[in-house]
Amino acid sequence: MSGIRVVTVLLEDRLITINRAVGLIRRRNLPVRGLAVGPTDTPGVSRLTIMLQSDDATAERAAQHLEKIIGVRDAAAIPTGAAVTREIALVKLRPPAERYAELLDVVQLYHATVVDESADVLIVELTGSEAFVLSCIRALERFEILEVARSGAVALESGATTPRLGTQPQLEAGVR
Amino acid sequence: MPEVLTGSQILCRTLLEQGVDLLFGYPGGAIMPFYHALPEYPGLRHVLVRHEQAAAHAADGYARATGRAGVCVATSGPGATNLVTGLATAHMDSTPVVAITGQVPRAMIGRDAFQETDIIGITQPITKHSVLVEDVEDLADALREALAIAVEGRPGPVLVDVPKDVQQAKAAWRGSGAAAQRGGAGVPSLAAAVRLLAEAERPLIMAGHGIILAGAYEELRGLAERTGIPVITTLLGISGFPESHPLHLGMPGMHGEVHVNRAIQQADLILGIGLRFDDRVTGNLAAFARGAKVIHVELDPSEIGKNVATDVGLVGDAREVLRALLAEVVPRDCEAWRAEIAGFVRPRHEAFRGDLSPETILGAIDEAAGGHCTIVSDVGQHQMWVAKLYRYRRPNTHITSGGLGTMGFAVPAAMGAALARPDEPVWAISGDGGFQMNMQEIATMVQEGIPVKMAVFNNGYLGMVRQWQQFFHGRRYSATPIWSPDYVRLAEAYGIFGRRVESGGEVERAVRDAIAHPGPALVEFLIEQEANVFPMIPPGASLSEPIEGEPSAPRLVPA
Repeated sequence: MSGIRVVTVLLEDRLITINRAVGLIRRRNLPVRGLAVGPTDTPGVSRLTIMLQSDDATAERAAQHLEKIIGVRDAAAIPTGAAVTREIALVKLRPPAERYAELLDVVQLYHATVVDESADVLIVELTGSEAFVLSCIRALERFEILEVARSGAVALESGATTPRLGTQPQLEAGVR
Repeated sequence: MPEVLTGSQILCRTLLEQGVDLLFGYPGGAIMPFYHALPEYPGLRHVLVRHEQAAAHAADGYARATGRAGVCVATSGPGATNLVTGLATAHMDSTPVVAITGQVPRAMIGRDAFQETDIIGITQPITKHSVLVEDVEDLADALREALAIAVEGRPGPVLVDVPKDVQQAKAAWRGSGAAAQRGGAGVPSLAAAVRLLAEAERPLIMAGHGIILAGAYEELRGLAERTGIPVITTLLGISGFPESHPLHLGMPGMHGEVHVNRAIQQADLILGIGLRFDDRVTGNLAAFARGAKVIHVELDPSEIGKNVATDVGLVGDAREVLRALLAEVVPRDCEAWRAEIAGFVRPRHEAFRGDLSPETILGAIDEAAGGHCTIVSDVGQHQMWVAKLYRYRRPNTHITSGGLGTMGFAVPAAMGAALARPDEPVWAISGDGGFQMNMQEIATMVQEGIPVKMAVFNNGYLGMVRQWQQFFHGRRYSATPIWSPDYVRLAEAYGIFGRRVESGGEVERAVRDAIAHPGPALVEFLIEQEANVFPMIPPGASLSEPIEGEPSAPRLVPA
C-alpha cells in the first residue's frame, strides 16, 4: 500500500553527514516527497525528517540503508498511522484594503497568526498537517499571495517511543 | 616531551601501527609532503603504479587475497579521480580498500584551485565512508577509523582526503595500542530456519562472497554434508566450496549451467548465504524460484528482502550463523532431489578451433601449478569460462570484479594478490580488450619485481559485447573488432617472458615455461574468434529460458 511514510533520522550535525543521507535517498531512487532538517535537544545531533510516497517495506529499507551511514545515530520508519506530523508555512499577502477584515476572519478560522505587517503587505504563519496547511493556503489564495515558504514536515511517533541514540557501534579506545 | 611529527609522518606512523606494510600509489603536487616522509619509514613498501586506477585495483586484489585492508595513495585532482573506478569496484564487491588522497591546502579548498576536485563528493556513493581531515590533530584517529571501518562488518572502501598543509602541519604523536575494532553483529534466532531446512524436499544452498569474506569454508561444507543440500556458488562465491565436492552444483544466473538454474527454479527452499541476489544471478525477478521459500543469511540487514522476498532473514556474519545452524540442523540427505538435479545436466555447446579451448588452457594452468595457484580474472567471456571451467580446490583462489564488472581489473589486481601470496603463482587472465586497458602495469611489475603470470585470451573482439550483438542486435558488430599489438614483442619490450599459443598442443609447454620463468610472464592464446559463452539467459528473461547453443536466426530484443 503506497501512501505517505515518514522516516526520521538522527545524525551528527555536519554538512557532510546530511549530504550523505540526502545523497543516499537520491542514489536509491526513493520517492521522496519532502525533507526537513533541524537541531535536536542533543548538542551536535540534527534530525532529518524524510517524507516518502511509498509502501512500508520501502520506508523500512530506506531506514536500514540510512542507518549504515557513519554519523547516523538512528534511523527509523514510523509505522503507518503512528506518525504525528506538522509543518509550518509563512504566507506573504497583499490583500485589497476592502477585504482586510475578511482576511482576518480566515486567519482566525485556521488558527493562524499575522506575524508581520508593513504598509499593505502582511505575513501569516500557519501550522498543521500537510493537508491542513494546503487547505489554508487555498483559502488565502483570494487575498493575492505574493510568496509562500513551507518548512517541510517534521514528525514524531505517537506513544512512548524514544530514539536509540548511540546504537551505532562505538570504536574502542584510541579511536575518536 | 611528546614526540612532534608532521601530518605526513603521522600518516606513515599510523599505517605501521595499524599493521599496514604495503602501499600502491602515485605521487603528485598535493601528496608530496607524504612522499617526502615515506623514505623515513622503510617498513612501508611503496609500489609505484603507472596509473592510479591500477593502485586502487592492486589494493583491492591485495585485500581480497588477505582479508586485510589494501591501501592506495594518490594526489588531488586527476590522481584522485583516477581512483574512482577502483573504489567503485571495491564498493560493489564489499572489499576493504583505504584510499589516501592529497588535497589542495585548506585555504584553497572551494576556489577551483589547480588540481582541486571534490573527491569526497565524487566518491560519496561509492565509498563506505570518507573523511576530509581538516586538523592535523585528528589525522591519526581519522586514518585508524578509516582502516577499521573498511574491514569491519560488511567491508568496503574508505577514502581519507588530506589537504597538503595538514600533511605539513605538526602535532604531538599519540599512539594507540591495538588495531581499532568495532563491534560485530550477534547470532540471530534460528528456529524458523532450522524448521524450514528440515521440512524442505528440494532445498538449495546459494553461497556468495560472504562465505569468503567471513572465511566460512568449513562451516559451509559442514552444513552441506550434514544436510546433503546441494551448493551453488555465485561468481564471487566461487572457491568458497570445493569444486570437486559431490554436493557442488556450479554457478547460477546469466551464464550459469542449465542444471543449476533449473534446480533453482524447481527448489522449494533456498538458503542464501552472503549474497545480494544480484540481477545477474536471479534473471527476471518475478519468475525467480517461484516455488521456493527463502532463508537469507546476510551481515547487512538492508540486503535482506532488497531483491528477493525473504521468509527468514538471519542478520549476522556467515561463519557465526553457519556455525550456530550447524549445531541445530537435523541431519538428513537429499538423495532423490540430487538425482533429479543430475537429470537436468546438459552437454556443453561451445566450439573451439584447433582444440585451443578454455578447458585446455585452464586445465594446463591447474595442472602446472599442482592446484596451488590463484586466478584473477578480468571481465567478459573469458571471465565466465574461468569461473566455470577451472577446478578451484582451495578457498579464496578465484578473484574477479563481479558487481561492477570492471574491465582492466585483472592485471593490477593480480599485482596485489601476487604481493599477498608470494609463494604461489598468481595468474591474471584477461581478454584482449581488458588486457589493453591496464597493460601499462607490466612496467610496475618489472620495476617492483612482481611475478604475475598473464594470460590473454585473444579473439580479436570485445567478445562478450560481440556475443550480445550476435544474439540480440542482428549481428551488427559495431565497435567490437579490436586490434592488438604483437604481445610477444610487447613482452620483449618490457623485458619479460612472452609466448604466443595458437594450438592446443602448445598450451602445456607455454604454461610450464611461463611459471618456471622467474618474474612476470605473458602468454597470448589465439582462441576461436566467434566462440560464445553458453548457456545464456537473455537479459530480462527468467532462469527457465536459457539459450543453449548458436541461435538459428538472429534474435532482436528491446534494449
